[in-house]
Amino acid sequence: MQQRDLLSLFALRMRQRAVARRVRAAWVTLIIGLPSSLVLESAHASDVLDRVRERGELIWGADQEGGGPFVFPDADHPEVLRGFEVDLAELLAAELGVRPKFYQADWTTLPEFLENGAIDVILNGYEWTPGRAERMTSTRPYYIYQLQLMGRENETRFSSVDDLCGGGAGARYDVSVLGGSAPALYLREHCSDRVNLVEYDGNTNAMMQVAAGVHDATFQDLPIAVFYRTLPQARGLKFIGEPIGRGYYVMYLRKGEVRLADALNGALAGLIADGRLKKVYDNYGLWNDTQPGLATATLDTTEQRGHRGLAAVLQYGPILIKAAGMTLLLSVASMPIAIVIGLFVALGRLYGPVILRAPLAIYVEVLRGTPVILQLYVIYFLLPKLLHVGFNPVLAAIAGLAINYSAYEAEIYRAGLQAIPRGQMEAALALGLTRGTALRRIIVPQAVRIVIPPVTNDFIALFKDTSICSVIAVVELTKQYNMLANNTTAVLEVAAMTALLYLAMSYPLSLVARRAEAALSGEAKHVSVA
Amino acid sequence: MIHIEGVHKRFGQVPILRGVTLTVERGQTAVIIGASGGGKSTLLRCINALEKFDQGHIKVGDLTLRPCLSDGDDHNLHLQLRRRVGMVFQQFNLFPHYSALENVMAGPIHALGLSHDEAAQRARTLLERVGLKDKLDARPATLSGGQQQRVAIARALANEPAAILFDEPTSALDPRMTAEVLSVMTDLSRAGQTMIVVSHAMGFARRTAHVVHVMVDGQVIESGPPGEVFDSPRHASTRELLAEAES
Repeated sequence: MQQRDLLSLFALRMRQRAVARRVRAAWVTLIIGLPSSLVLESAHASDVLDRVRERGELIWGADQEGGGPFVFPDADHPEVLRGFEVDLAELLAAELGVRPKFYQADWTTLPEFLENGAIDVILNGYEWTPGRAERMTSTRPYYIYQLQLMGRENETRFSSVDDLCGGGAGARYDVSVLGGSAPALYLREHCSDRVNLVEYDGNTNAMMQVAAGVHDATFQDLPIAVFYRTLPQARGLKFIGEPIGRGYYVMYLRKGEVRLADALNGALAGLIADGRLKKVYDNYGLWNDTQPGLATATLDTTEQRGHRGLAAVLQYGPILIKAAGMTLLLSVASMPIAIVIGLFVALGRLYGPVILRAPLAIYVEVLRGTPVILQLYVIYFLLPKLLHVGFNPVLAAIAGLAINYSAYEAEIYRAGLQAIPRGQMEAALALGLTRGTALRRIIVPQAVRIVIPPVTNDFIALFKDTSICSVIAVVELTKQYNMLANNTTAVLEVAAMTALLYLAMSYPLSLVARRAEAALSGEAKHVSVA
Repeated sequence: MIHIEGVHKRFGQVPILRGVTLTVERGQTAVIIGASGGGKSTLLRCINALEKFDQGHIKVGDLTLRPCLSDGDDHNLHLQLRRRVGMVFQQFNLFPHYSALENVMAGPIHALGLSHDEAAQRARTLLERVGLKDKLDARPATLSGGQQQRVAIARALANEPAAILFDEPTSALDPRMTAEVLSVMTDLSRAGQTMIVVSHAMGFARRTAHVVHVMVDGQVIESGPPGEVFDSPRHASTRELLAEAES
């Protein structure tokens, strides 16, 4: 049953990660990561190999949420980690004469954890890219990956990536990818204007939404495609065309840690030479005809340097501004809906027919009592399966935020409505107004004045909560920041621009709210007198 | 005009009204006096259906209120009734987000369906009549208690009701404000407005009422012209009440 798989996936995800951690991790860069990376870099540079040996542990960072075949929890014993990188870490550490120690961190923010000294090495399907290579020291490749297109089993419209980029009958195809991944970069580079790129937080979501009919195809790293091919997440999907492209997974170390890099390179060379690496890959079905190239693979280090300073601002500014626009759109579109739904829920609970009151109370409690990320999953991933209709991610995000916040607004309104003295309703009824008119003309206008401060507060909270929507492939400001920061040396510039954009949006919002409060405060006093 | 027949009401186990029978003629000012907790306010609230009652009936003109089992039953009847019977509350209950003028316009516009201009015209006339010509745009919070209560009276008059119920209209006011409100009420009475007034203002009752009803423990124990009731009360409870009022 696909629904059950999906639900167990929810459960797994909820355990593995709180979204707060991800968002927090993004800001770790700004608050701790950057300054400490500048300081720690030199402190660790000379003696990190000695420190690893001294402590007897090689701390390697990865994100088990990325899943198979890299690092993933065992299906029967979730506390035990599986994956070819788990095995590889074991072998490498043994070569160094130490034990491996796994460190869980969000995939996109692994470089921050590396730079602040929490981990010694990133070992998690990190592709070699010029941007990363400039920021960090890389080892030799430990895997040669290719990219694989996947579509539904009955797909006939395209039979290769070239076909896909050629477009359908007048329409562009929707292609789901892991945000910021090699397939995403490939498509952006080779056919950026000819497909709609939908960037997900997880590989499996990208696959499942194709199976569910929401998108046309998904483009994946070959190891991932191979691993999931036989699992429920990719049920109903097939490989389309031959694997294309070619790139390297490498380990990354802090900039300048040459001794550790040499040690790991030496260990890796040994594993490649004596076939132990091949054995690991065979276990996961990952060994293929391209892998013998590992023995001689060299990295092209002549690539141009990434932009820094003003050039980086000019290069990344427009992308970030576009993402900020999405953040703004999500907030200003969802909050009014939340306020309207919330008002009607509150009115229903206080003044509606008795039969409505229990369902509305349940509505409020369920939505307040479950995380917004789960609600987004239900709307975007589960509903399409049940109803057989796909949702646009942005609409799903707006709906999810609006529904979630409507529960909070309902409670605020309930308090506001209850603060209106009983005599107001009696006076209105005594004048011969109907209950509805009395609510509309007398009670609600007074309640609205009372609830303006808490609702404004919620608006600003919602504005920041929009970053959760990246889990359903909406690229808003935090997500864009994460994707850029992961692939560039200009982290400081990108982080500063992101922070400025958030401020540039939220400060005017506070000003408007304060002015509205001031304008209405005179009248709010009347309310308390009556 | 208003005829109350054998009305009983209890809150839970506590009887509040125990068979109240009372008639108010057109143009009459009836003042109901009695100790606190005697059911006077509850009786008023029953007349315009803000409270339900358990037994008996209340006739206002050709409309008859009876005990009802559910809220929805008499929706239309209640609306008609309330458009015909105005009410003035002890705590004024003005709408704080409206100006004085808008408070008075609320009934004509939302209950009677008058146009904005007609309602405004009517409201100005009424506010002038209660001596607040220069306070049309004032918000309730900027008005004194006496001024607020006069706006409330104008608001109750704006539907041109057949009768107005006053629920202790001066209890929340100091003596000077009490006087200004009672003077407005006296004018109304003289102009022939049918009024039922629940009040402790004995002087007003003596000077203005056509009939005084004495309510004790949920029953009307004595009724008559103020001269009779005040000067030669027939009932011991009435004598006690009057003695307390004088002290």
